[in-house]
Amino acid sequence: MDTVGLVLARSLILAVALASLFAGMTVIERKMLGYFHLRLGPTRTGPWGLLQPVADGIKAIVKEDIIPRDADRLVFRLAPIISVFTALAAWAVIPVGPPVNIGGLTIPLGVADPPGGVLVAVAFAALSVYGVTLAGWASQSKYSLLGSLRASAQLISYELAMGLSLLGVLMLAGSLRLTEIVAAQERLPFILLQPLGFVIYFLAALAESARVPFDLPEAETELVSGYSTEYSGMRFAMFMMAEYIHMITASSLVTLLYLGGWNGPVFLPPVVWFLVKLGFLLFVFIWLRATMVRLRYDRLMDLGWKVLLPLAILNLVATAVITVFVA
Amino acid sequence: MDVTRIVFLALAAVAVVSAYRVVTAPKIMHAALWLGFTFFLVAGVFLTLGAEFLAAAQVLVYVGAVTTIILFGIMLSQAAEVRSRDPLPSELLEGMAFWRRGVLPVVATVAFVAIMVMVYLRASWPAPTGGVADTVRLIGSALFTTYVIPFELAAVLLLIALVGAIVLAIRDDDKEEQGS
Repeated sequence: MDTVGLVLARSLILAVALASLFAGMTVIERKMLGYFHLRLGPTRTGPWGLLQPVADGIKAIVKEDIIPRDADRLVFRLAPIISVFTALAAWAVIPVGPPVNIGGLTIPLGVADPPGGVLVAVAFAALSVYGVTLAGWASQSKYSLLGSLRASAQLISYELAMGLSLLGVLMLAGSLRLTEIVAAQERLPFILLQPLGFVIYFLAALAESARVPFDLPEAETELVSGYSTEYSGMRFAMFMMAEYIHMITASSLVTLLYLGGWNGPVFLPPVVWFLVKLGFLLFVFIWLRATMVRLRYDRLMDLGWKVLLPLAILNLVATAVITVFVA
Repeated sequence: MDVTRIVFLALAAVAVVSAYRVVTAPKIMHAALWLGFTFFLVAGVFLTLGAEFLAAAQVLVYVGAVTTIILFGIMLSQAAEVRSRDPLPSELLEGMAFWRRGVLPVVATVAFVAIMVMVYLRASWPAPTGGVADTVRLIGSALFTTYVIPFELAAVLLLIALVGAIVLAIRDDDKEEQGS
C-alpha cells in the first residue's frame, strides 16, 4: 500500500536527485565542451574541476540581487520560481524503473503513475513557456522582451509537432500510462517501429529545451542574453536549473517513449538501464551543442511548421492505418 | 478527514480567493496570471476527484494555451492601448455605470447560480464511480459516438477561427506592401 509518507519521501529523494544531477550536468557539460574544443575545461576547482558547481553556487548566492527600476516586481520575482516549478512538476509522473519489493512492500519507482501520465508530463512541459514569457515581460527591457517573444513562439510551434509525433507511440502502446508504454516495448523499442516519429520528437524536444541549435531565445550574439538579461544571482541560477532539468526531463521522456525505458538484457538492473539510456541522450545533447551552429530564426520557424508538422501528421496517419488494417 | 479531502478543501479555498483576485487585481497582467493560477487549481480539484484526463486536459488547454494567448495579447499591446481604448464616449459610459457595475454583474451571478443549482438538483448523487480506471477510453468513445455532432461542430468552429486569423494576418501584409 502506498502511503502519504512514502510518496513524500520519494518526492524528496527525486527533488534532491534532480538538483544534484543539475549540478553534475553543469560541470560535465563544461568539461565535455572543453574536450570537444580541444581544451581542458574547468581545472582549478578540485580534482577534474569537480567542485565547479559548488563555486558557481556560492557565487550565485553572494551576488547582488538586482531588480530593474521599471520592472514589475511581483512577476519579476515569480518568473524563476514558475520556471523551476514546471520543470520539477513533470517528474511527478515519470517513473525510472518497475516497482520494487522491499520487505513485502511494493514500491513504485516514481512519485505517481496516473492513467494519463504522458498527458500530465506533456502538459507540464507546455507550462515552461510561462517562466520565460513572464521573465521577459517583467524585466521591461527590449532585449528581454524580444527574447521571451521568440521563446514563446518557438515553444508553441514545436509543441504541436511534439504532441502529434507522440500520438504514434500512444497508438502502438494503446495506453497513456508511462509504465504500460514501457511494458509495450518489452520486445521491440518503439524507435524501430516509429523511426520518423522518434526523429520529430527528438528535434522538438531539443527545441523545447532551447538548446543549440535551437537556442534562439537566449542567442547572446543578437539578444545579449534573451529573457534572462536582467536577472542576476540566485534568480539567474534558477533559470539555469530549470533549463537543465528540462533537458533531463526531455531525455527521460525520449527514453521511456522510444528507447524502451528500463527494458534491456538482464545483466544490468532495470534502473541502471534507464540511467544508461538517459546518460547517452544527455551526452547527445552536449555533443550537438559542441557541433552545431545556431539556426536562423525564420529557418527555425520554417522547420517547425513546414517540415516537422506535416511529417508528424503523415506519421500519425500512417501509424493509424497500419495499426487498424495490418495489426 | 482523509488526506484527499484536506487537499480538495485547500485547493478549492485557494481557487476561490484566486478567482476573486482575477476581478480585483489592478494590473491586467496580474489579473491574467491569477486567472491561469485559478485554472491550475481547478485542475488540481479534478485530480483529487479522480479525473486525471480532465486535469491534464485542463492544464494543457486552459493554463497552457488559453492563458498563454491572453498573456501574449497583453505583452504585444502597449500599456496605453490597453487602458484608454473605450469604444464609447465617456459621458455615455458614465451614464451606463449603474447598469454596467450594478445590474449586469447581479444578473450574470443570478443566472450562473441558477444554472449551477439546476445541474446540482438534476444529477444523481453520489455520482457513479464504477469504471473510472480507464477514463481516457471512455471519454474517447463517448466523443466519437454519442457526442460526435457537437464534437465535429467544435472542430468546424475552430477551423473557422483559424481561417479568420489567417485572413486578418494576410490583409495586414497587403496593406503594408501598398503603403510602401
